[in-house]
Amino acid sequence: MLEFVVGALSPLNLLLALLGVAAGTIIGSIPGLTATMAVAVLVPLTFTMSPDSALILMGAIYTGAIYGGAYAAILLNTPGTPSAIATTFDGYPMAKRGDGDLAVSVACISSVIGGLVGALALLLLAPPLAEAALAFGPVEYFWLAVFGLSLIAALSTGDFLKGVIGACFGLLLAMIGISETSAEVRFTFGSNVLLGGVETVSALIGLYCIPVLIDLVATPDRHLKAPEQTRGFRLPEAFGLLLKNKINVMRSSVVGTMVGALPGAGGSIAGLVAYSEARRTNKGKPPYGEGNPGGIVATESANNATVGGGFIPTLVLGIPGTPPDAVILGALLVQGVRTGPSLFADGASIVYTFIFGLLLATVLMLPVGLMIGRFAYGAIVRAPKAALVPVVAFMTVIGTFAIRNSLSDIAIMIVLGVIGWVAGKRGFSVSPIVLGLILGRIAEQGFVQSWTIGEAIGNLWGQFFGRPLSMAIIALTLLTFFYPFLPRLKQVFSRGPVQAAPERERASKPAVARDLIALLIAGGIALLALQQSAGLNPEAAVFPETIAMAMAVLVLMALLRLALTRHVSEVSVEGSWLRMIALPVVMLAAVFAFPALGFAITAVLLGLALTVIAQHDRYSAKSWAILLASVTGVIVACTLLFSEVLSVPLP
Amino acid sequence: MKLKSALLALTLAAFAGTASAEDFPKGSVDYIIPFGPGGESDITARFQQPFFEKLFGEQMVVNYQPGGGGAVGWSQLNNMAGDGSVIMGINLPHIIIKPEQGDVGFKTDDLAAVYMFHYTPDAIVVKADSPYMTLQDLIDDAKANPKQVIFSGSGKGTANHLAQVQFDDMADIESTYVSFKGTGASVTALLGEQVKAAWGYTTVGAAQGDKVRLLAVAMEERHPAFPDVPTFRELGFDMVSGAYRGIAVPNSASEEVRTQVSDAIKAINADAEFQQKMLDGGFALVDVGYGADMDAFIAEKAEGYLSAARSAGIIE
Repeated sequence: MLEFVVGALSPLNLLLALLGVAAGTIIGSIPGLTATMAVAVLVPLTFTMSPDSALILMGAIYTGAIYGGAYAAILLNTPGTPSAIATTFDGYPMAKRGDGDLAVSVACISSVIGGLVGALALLLLAPPLAEAALAFGPVEYFWLAVFGLSLIAALSTGDFLKGVIGACFGLLLAMIGISETSAEVRFTFGSNVLLGGVETVSALIGLYCIPVLIDLVATPDRHLKAPEQTRGFRLPEAFGLLLKNKINVMRSSVVGTMVGALPGAGGSIAGLVAYSEARRTNKGKPPYGEGNPGGIVATESANNATVGGGFIPTLVLGIPGTPPDAVILGALLVQGVRTGPSLFADGASIVYTFIFGLLLATVLMLPVGLMIGRFAYGAIVRAPKAALVPVVAFMTVIGTFAIRNSLSDIAIMIVLGVIGWVAGKRGFSVSPIVLGLILGRIAEQGFVQSWTIGEAIGNLWGQFFGRPLSMAIIALTLLTFFYPFLPRLKQVFSRGPVQAAPERERASKPAVARDLIALLIAGGIALLALQQSAGLNPEAAVFPETIAMAMAVLVLMALLRLALTRHVSEVSVEGSWLRMIALPVVMLAAVFAFPALGFAITAVLLGLALTVIAQHDRYSAKSWAILLASVTGVIVACTLLFSEVLSVPLP
Repeated sequence: MKLKSALLALTLAAFAGTASAEDFPKGSVDYIIPFGPGGESDITARFQQPFFEKLFGEQMVVNYQPGGGGAVGWSQLNNMAGDGSVIMGINLPHIIIKPEQGDVGFKTDDLAAVYMFHYTPDAIVVKADSPYMTLQDLIDDAKANPKQVIFSGSGKGTANHLAQVQFDDMADIESTYVSFKGTGASVTALLGEQVKAAWGYTTVGAAQGDKVRLLAVAMEERHPAFPDVPTFRELGFDMVSGAYRGIAVPNSASEEVRTQVSDAIKAINADAEFQQKMLDGGFALVDVGYGADMDAFIAEKAEGYLSAARSAGIIE
């Protein structure tokens, strides 16, 4: 065993681990650049480099990228990778109130702990954990997705009904394209653009980032509260918080490892499950969702634990746990390494060198991650709005394109962003929509598969509810779902007659009208989905039809509530409408200009236009020149990075 | 940091730009896989990658463009550059069945297929501790308990699914087919005993080793990696089928480019080391080059696939 430790610690491998973590962190912090892409680009290196060094580099990049996703989540409310979705829930509120530096440090330490737990599990417990993961059948995946969805109740604190309607909308979005379970074309309205469905990462970028950008250009206010003076890493505070969350971090790391070991579940679900458990057991203040560092601890430790966890089925069963694992598995096969239980039994040196390399990279992530995190925080807090907006907007565009080299994905991303912004202002928070979108496909597949098996064995009820593992997940789901309502239920039981809720003000006529329109549109979407499902075969139709029906009923309930109480939950719009409308319009115009003008020229024009849109202060000619030159410089440099280093075929 | 990445980009760009070659390849070649990583298409592309670089001294960059069971990539192929700098993986029966299922943005004839380089023969796979020792055991159980023999498989309208339909018909049984997303998920269900058997490929046997047993393979002769596993023909079922994989170029490519790409893939297929890697992985090599051979091959396969899909009610 010792020789593998020594092997992993050779100067070259140390250097590669360091470089890999740094590169991975930067890649992960850019929304749209995923670990899968970074690792795939590196595969040819494994042909020329010694395989263990190449594997260490890939593992380091992977683990760094999962952590890097936290930056954008905390500082821009945009998960850099899907794994970091739940990091936005508390990270962004913390950044808003000026604690972004602390949040980044907490994320870093949590990621390191989670990564270590995952890698140690891979080293010590891989074969038994792989066997355990096999107990998860289609039904369990279905219930796991439902468990993730139960978070809606907690995430839509403002308005529960609107939250569930939003989740239904997200679920329906996930149904667009060629169905996985029946191969039938659905909800594309005859357009080839929608054949491949709504791409999850680009939808995340749109739904989370575009609303932030629109709000940014609307007013001259600063993006985040800047600290009076630099406060360093705030490490003592961060370690103190971790100590306070010691049960949370261990539980979340274990959850992350186990969910990671389930092939096909992945970091986003691990983060959500860990978050929801942490939230349920939290007693401290402030509550989760309003900037409690515990939320970051849970998500970040869980998602980094999936790195080690995901390698368990990859190496033991030869079945990749996550997409980056699949790429690494391919590289291993080319090297002639046969995965399987014998790989561990025979003590294949390449695997142990790799695991120790992964551990090493995870440890190195602490200094590297803290330093890059500090830089990212400083850059985003200090950057003038007129530079931040064009650069971030450009990143969303190029990142979305790079996911599957598709211009139409950029347009879909921007349109979803506008939908997300409008929905947010109308009291439909974005997170339930995203939850529906992410979990929709997993839920549908599990559902249809379980249904097929249940019908074949003639025991549908037993298939869905009779399996012990399913029952445990269902129980947890109910607990999570009803937990937010617990205080009110307690009140009902302990004090007898219900105290009248504090009288809410009746909304003004225009506000009621606005809500009415929003609900009618939601109802229209449900009816459209029902009408579209009518012509499909039963396997393709059952899930969307059920969701659309539920959505229609929920909209009716919301309409009834509106008519009776005239209560409206909405977020007021402040600032310049002209700027708010100009931002998405200019971005959409760029999508159409890319093929005509070429990528680099269009991107620079887009950046310059957005600089003007985001510019509120009076600038001297010299400051303008510096501003425009630096925006242009960053855009050109990133374009080169994408086209030359990452081999993205830009138009 | 931004400055650093720009510098890095510039240096690497300088290195990448120094390519000079006369024929094909003129520079690095983008090899687009219209699926996600980890599947058979990806793995065989990864097998080809080093040999391409060894034989032609240029990089072959593997890209993923997943979505719609391959339809997203194939519907966009003809908009790409036809100068030999872009090639894309194609799969049978996908490119034949998909366009028949609805408007998926391409027709089979739109794709300029230039080479088919291997196939993964269909096989029935069971767990090592399964009570089915032979194919006959499975047939007997299916006859005694209609629908209760549940197979997992990768996708609907795919090679796995069509094989199940064809075999049910030949053996006069009624089994249940559950579609999973890719071979990995299908094999997970098999190993976890969520299903009784899997319609998979010979590659599953190679990857899973002694944890699984192949009951029969749909090849003309036995696979060298599994000398003990009978073919369906030996057992009285005339089934030689599987998923065939190859390469297509955008249809704007000249005859010359098509021939050059075809020859390049052929050269990789002829490499003894490459052949050994493929066989060890459970794949079976085929060599169908550009031209009349390809047209005849696709026409012949299309007939078989389409009639199976029609009888299964997958297409009208």
